[in-house]
This record gives sequence, structure tokens and C-alpha cells, in this order.
Amino acid sequence: MEKLSYDAVVLGAGLSGLMAAHEIGKEGFKVAIISKVFPTRSHSSSAEGGIAAYIPGNSDPNDNPDYMTYDTVKGGDYLVDQDAAELLSMKSGDIATVMERWGTLFNRQPDGRIAIRYFGGQTYPRTRFVGDKTGMALLHTIYERTSGLDVDFYSEWFALDLIRDQERVRGVIAMQMKNMTPVFFEARAIVMATGGMGMLYRHSTNSYINTGDGYAMALRAGVALKDPEFVQFHPTALYPSDILISEAARGEGAVLINNKGERFMKRYAPNKLDLAPRDIASRSILTEVKEGRGFPGGFVGLDLTHLGPDYIKERLALAYEAAKSFSGIDATVEPIPVRPAQHYYMGGIDVDITGTNHDLRGLFAAGEAACVSVHGANRLGSNSLLETLVFGRETGRTVADYLKSTSKPSSSVENIELEKMLDEAYSFVKSESGVHFGEVQNKLRDIMWEKVGVFREEKGMQEAVKEVKELRQQVTKMYVNDKSRVYNTEFFNALELRNMMDLAIVISSSALNRKESRGAHYRLDYTQRDDENWLKHTISYLRGNTVEISYKPVKMTKWKPEPRVY
Amino acid sequence: MPEVKQVEGKNVEVNSQPKSSAIRNEEKEIVVKIKRFSPDKGEWWQEYKLKVDRFTQMTEVLRRIKTEQDPSLSYRAACHMAVCGSCGMKINGAPRLACKTLAIELTKEYNSNEITLEPMDLYPRVKDLVVDLDDFYERMYKVKPRLYPSEEILEGKAEHRLVPEDQRELWKFAQCIWCGLCVSSCPSVRNDAEFLGPAAHAKGYRFLADPRDTITEERMKILVDSSWRCTYCYQCFNVCPRDIEPVTTIKKTRAWSSKMKDKTKVIETGEKHINAIADTIRKSGKLLEAEVYLRTYGLVQAMSDMLYMLKSGRMKYTLIKEVPVKDLNDIEKVMKGDEQ
Repeated sequence: MEKLSYDAVVLGAGLSGLMAAHEIGKEGFKVAIISKVFPTRSHSSSAEGGIAAYIPGNSDPNDNPDYMTYDTVKGGDYLVDQDAAELLSMKSGDIATVMERWGTLFNRQPDGRIAIRYFGGQTYPRTRFVGDKTGMALLHTIYERTSGLDVDFYSEWFALDLIRDQERVRGVIAMQMKNMTPVFFEARAIVMATGGMGMLYRHSTNSYINTGDGYAMALRAGVALKDPEFVQFHPTALYPSDILISEAARGEGAVLINNKGERFMKRYAPNKLDLAPRDIASRSILTEVKEGRGFPGGFVGLDLTHLGPDYIKERLALAYEAAKSFSGIDATVEPIPVRPAQHYYMGGIDVDITGTNHDLRGLFAAGEAACVSVHGANRLGSNSLLETLVFGRETGRTVADYLKSTSKPSSSVENIELEKMLDEAYSFVKSESGVHFGEVQNKLRDIMWEKVGVFREEKGMQEAVKEVKELRQQVTKMYVNDKSRVYNTEFFNALELRNMMDLAIVISSSALNRKESRGAHYRLDYTQRDDENWLKHTISYLRGNTVEISYKPVKMTKWKPEPRVY
Repeated sequence: MPEVKQVEGKNVEVNSQPKSSAIRNEEKEIVVKIKRFSPDKGEWWQEYKLKVDRFTQMTEVLRRIKTEQDPSLSYRAACHMAVCGSCGMKINGAPRLACKTLAIELTKEYNSNEITLEPMDLYPRVKDLVVDLDDFYERMYKVKPRLYPSEEILEGKAEHRLVPEDQRELWKFAQCIWCGLCVSSCPSVRNDAEFLGPAAHAKGYRFLADPRDTITEERMKILVDSSWRCTYCYQCFNVCPRDIEPVTTIKKTRAWSSKMKDKTKVIETGEKHINAIADTIRKSGKLLEAEVYLRTYGLVQAMSDMLYMLKSGRMKYTLIKEVPVKDLNDIEKVMKGDEQ
């Protein structure tokens, strides 16, 4: 197998990966970025609303980083590591300013300073935005900036597995999708910046490419995931494409209605009504659908019509446009079809606030792939873009320091081990019969949605664990029709499914174990938060077919848990 | 009674009760004909049948074909909301993003339940609907697609505030998602190797016009000559899924010619051409093609071309006697207004 040598390899070319690579490359180290899509196709491009940032001299005069940390900690239902949230708030203004200097075209105030707006859960407004395409604007900026450095891009390369020895990471095997040529990328440091995993769920606002590859590669290399049971659902995703319809719609007075034209939220949240938190609204919508009051196909209506066309086009431009382009719905005359969908993954590769993983020397992670634990049990809007850049940069700097102080290993990696891993992957192509990725994938997405979704309870999750284990068994007998060596997406979809399986078993087992309701993890059989027994992080390892679960304390600095009332 | 709310200074009527309209749906069986390709098997058309509803995007059609019928089909798709630029292809012959195209809408637009999918033109095919975009990326890199602010600004020692008007102007052109549709449908790209193509021009102009950028001279050298090689066919304007109007950036870049010190032949000819057009309109109210031609290309070129025209029997078109229009003053006014 061909071998390429780098100081560091970054997997994933979204916001966090590019930012990390930028910091490493800037220090003169040889760095490669491997991504299964061209960088600007990364899921970071889909982020809409904005990036939270406290900018001294350009924020609400009453605001300060402490309020920002408090909002984040409370929003995360106290499962947030408070030192991480403090760092996030403290660095927020600087990172937004850096992006502005690099060319991000933030919306401006009349005097030319970066504009600001409110977002859910913020005590004071602190969201910075570029229209309603903030993620796209930031991603293009950082890609343009990083591509100007001496950094090697391997776009449309698929990473198969990490290679490690007894104590440290040695590199990664990846394959060029265009011609299936495998290459061993030898590196002293690997940064996992592979993003989320929405494809595990039947309904998700995520890109088709979000299949949890990084989590699975880490698990297979013997690394733990932190808080894997915490999956965020957003109540108003457009039917059936699951494109996000921002919470701003309900903020402006949009109303959720069932097939009887009834404003059903009065049953579930008599005071807050349609402005109830994401988890309550998600649960209410699904209850309506389950009890036969949804529309055929399984959705409810988000009715803006009473607001009048002027108001809608002025204030809810994106909701209006998305409904029109993607569902053929004119939101000024008929309700927008919406349903809850998986939106964000709070869990991830266990790292500290420097981006360092402590299971495997030389492994780092950032962005949605990582769990630094700034989001705890539930993420606040506009904190994800912020996290990718702040912790992408922290991680890049940590890696540069690590490289300065770490020498190259003296032994070389055995070719035999590399070939073995490659053979395992290739077995799908070599098999002549078995199951197809499509049938298994559809089943998996249904199981996760029905049993480890918005509502959870003991029996369902036990079934899920059992069924996922069975599917995982089937996946070993998977085969691909297409034997060609040219852009064989069937083969890569099969590998993605293998990754999805490894993650699914960890999510379902960890969720089954947490006997309380906290943030996005809602159990019908344990409806209350239980700080006495469960104010702790889940740490899950995957060993063969079993998930080993332990717990570790949440880092607290200033904020004591209090009831989460809005 | 309708309630009245204030929206940015305007009063807007808001009804307090929602209207309870049902969400209608419809279903149709469609036939999707896909132009398949692989280096081993060559090219062939393949048909798939499936049921779609009113909301089914073409990316979802492709996903369902791949997971339920034929996993060997290759295509690119990611965000399914028209911001990542992955799923550019030819749908019923027209360059579009698959995600931004609804299957049922197509059947109505073309009055047929058959939908054809083909890879984008111009780029070499890799497999099925996947094309090799290396040439496209090369074009984008040629324009140095990044801001070069001053060192003082990068170090935080100085601030260069961007006013909202500039932000709006630049953001319109910065929204290129690198999908490649415009380049695939651009005839000038095919005919002129020196032409950078519409997407690169949009990207280039976004930085050329940014008051914070410091490499303006270099950008002019890269962009201005190329901008005169566009033929204004407006295909890029028509196909752009983000409504960026690359052709508008090309027009705006041409205006920078006057600031160029060392003009290339192409720039000089281009300038002569538009000046001649403006002069003949000013003089006669009409575009006098023969005169424009003569002034643009000069007598020597014109004479050699005339021989060709004589031979092909087209000489008579150059000999038409043009009569000036009546209200020439009005035309002068319009042109002055335009110049202001």
C-alpha cells in the first residue's frame, strides 16, 4: 500500500477541520486534510441562523461573558462542563472578529460594526449573522483562507480506519473515491473533525453525508464517546425534506395546527403555547401524529397565514422561500408542513478543553464529532458554529504544541495490519450474496427514530439494542453489486452503514442506561431530571458486540444546578 | 378584527385567528431515465419507476433509487437545501440542482411523467452523474479567491469597517456555491481558453470590489482582460441556482478597464467596440453595425473581411443606408442619465 507521511492529518473539511488545519499549517507543520466531499460541500454550509459572540464594545451594554456561560449551562440542563462553556464565551468575540478580518461578510450596523440579533435561550442578544446563510459564509471564508496556505487537500477521499499501536495513533487508511486507490497516511497526530450523524435517523435536518464516520472510527480504535445518548430533535423541520424552519417563525407568531385546524399546543404547554422549548414542542407534534390528528404522511401545519403576506416576507424570508422551493407551499396562503427531525448530536469523541483525547495519544477531535461538553444535554441555537471555530482553533494550537514536543516513533507500522483492515472493508465487494446497504440502512433509521428518538422508554430501547445488534450481525454479510473501481458510491455507502451501526449500538445502549430525563434525553418511564444519581457524563466504549459504560463527573465552576424553567 | 403590528416603520395587518386549511397532497408515478456511464461499460440509458408526492425533491428520487432499486447508481448530493452545490446535473436537458427541483413540478412543466437526468456538460464524466470538476476548481483558484487585508488589520492594529451598502453589494456575489452549473453551460468557456468563466468572475469581482482588499492591481490583471471575452449570452444568469448573476460581475469588472495602465489587445478592442456603439447611437439613435465594426477592428481587418463577405454574397448588408431617428435629443438625454 502506498504511504504518505504528514505531521498531522485532519479528517473532515468543515469549519472545525479547516480551522484546526489552518492553525497547524500556519506553524510550518506538514498537514493533510482528508474529506469525503469537496470542502465547501461540508455540512457546516447548511447552518442558518448565526454565531453567538460577545464582542466587547459591540454587544448589549448589560451583557458579559458570564451571562453567556450561564445561558449555555442552563440550556444544556447542567450537563455542561462549565470550564468549557467559560472558554467558549471568553473566546467568542475574538473568533467572530477574526472571521470578519478574513472576509466573512457579516450583516452590519449603519456604522459598519457587526450587527446582532436575539436567539433562543439568550439573556441578551448576541447572535452574529450573514443573512440566513451564516454557516455557508463562514465555511467559504475559512476554506478560502486555508487553501491559501501550504496545506494538502485530499477531497473526495474516504477514511476507512485509524491505525494505532499500543499507546499512540500512527495514521489513517484512506481511499481516493475516484479510483479506489488506498493510501496509508502516516501521522503523529490525527484530528477528528468529521461532523455529525443525522443519517442514523429516519428524519434529520442533516446532510446525506452525515453518517457518523468519525465516531465509529474512534470507537473501533478503542476510544470512548462521551454522552452518546444525547441527540437533539428540532420540532419544525419542513416535510418531507427535513430542511430546518427556524424557531424565529414561532417567535413571530406562527401557530402549530393539526388536521382539525386545532391549535394543539394549548394541550401541552398552556402558557408558552407554540413558544415552548424544542423538546416539548417535538413531543407534542409526535403525539398529535400518533393519535391520528396529523396529516397523511405524518406532519402538522405551521400556520403563518394569519400574519399576512407582507409580514411573512419581511420577517420570515427564509421560512417563506424554503417552503416555496422545497415543498411547493406558499406560506402566505397555506400552512407549512412540519415535523420534528434529528438536528444535532451533543455526544461525541471524549476530549478535554484543549481538544485532546486521553484514551489514545495523538488523537484530537473538534466540532460536532467531539464532545468537549459545551452543550451538555441540549445545545443552544448559534452555539454550534461558535464551537466549531473556537475549539477548532484550540485543537489546532494544541496539535501544533504536541508536534513540537513529540518525536517520530522509531518503529514503522506493519504492512500486514494495514492490509488486514483493507481486506475487511473489501470483503463487501468480494462477497457475491448477502444483504444490501439500502435495506439495512432503512431498518436502522426506523429503529432509531421509533425507539431511541424523541420519546424513549425501557422496553423500546431494549428492543432497539437487540435489533441493532442483529442488524450489525447482518452488516458483516453485506455485499455490493457494483464491482467497479471507479467512484463506487455503493461501496462507500456500505462502509458508511458499517460506521452507522457501530454508533447506533453505542447510542441505544447508553440511552437505555440513563434512567432519568435530561435535556434532549426524554424517558416516558423516568420523566424527571435526577441530579442526585445522574448529574454525570456517560463514557462508552465499544468492545466487540458489547458497550462498556462508565460515568464521570461534570466539571462545575460557578453555577449550581437549578430547575430548568423557561 | 385584524391586529396591526409595526414592521420596520410600516403598519402591517395581522389577523389574530389562524385559518385552518388542510395541506393537500398528490401522488404520481414517474419514470426516471438516467444517462449512465462507466469507463468499462460505456454509456447507456436506464429507466426507473417510482411513486413521488408533491414534495419529493429530485435528490430524494435519487436516494430512493439507490437504496431501494439500484445501489450501483452514482451521483453526488449532500445538503438537500441548495447551499452546498453538490447535486448539479442536467434535468430534462436543463442545468439545475437536483435538490432544488421537485419531481411533480417537472412533470407539470414538461407535461410528461418522464424525467431525464444527465451529467453536467463540459466536464469529463467519471461515472453516471458524477463529473470531474478539477477544471472548474482550477478556474476558481486562478482568481485568488480570498481576501488579502492589510497586515495592520490582520494583527488587529487597525479596523476597516464595511458599511451595510458594501456588505449587501458584495454578499450578493459572494454566495457562489461552486456548483459549476454556469461554467458547464457557458459557450465562451468552450470557445476561448483565456476566459475564466462566470463563477470565477463572480468570485473575483467579490474581492476586487471589496474596499478592504490590498491586491487590487493583481486582481485587475487577472480579471479585466478575461471579462472582455464574455459574449453576454446570459446562460450563467439563467442557470445560477443562487441568483448571483455572474454576468453582472463581468459587466462591473469591464468598468475597471479605465483604471488599467497596460491594456491588452482584447481590452483595447473591447473598449473601442463599446465606444463605437455609444457614438453611433448618439449620432443616429441606432446601432450602426458597419461603422461599429470598422471602428472596432480597423480598416485593414475590415477590408480582408469584406472580400470574404463579397464571396459569400453578404456584402449588401453592409451597404444599407441608415437614416437617423427623429427625436435624437431624447436619446441623448437617456444616455446621459445612464452615464450618471
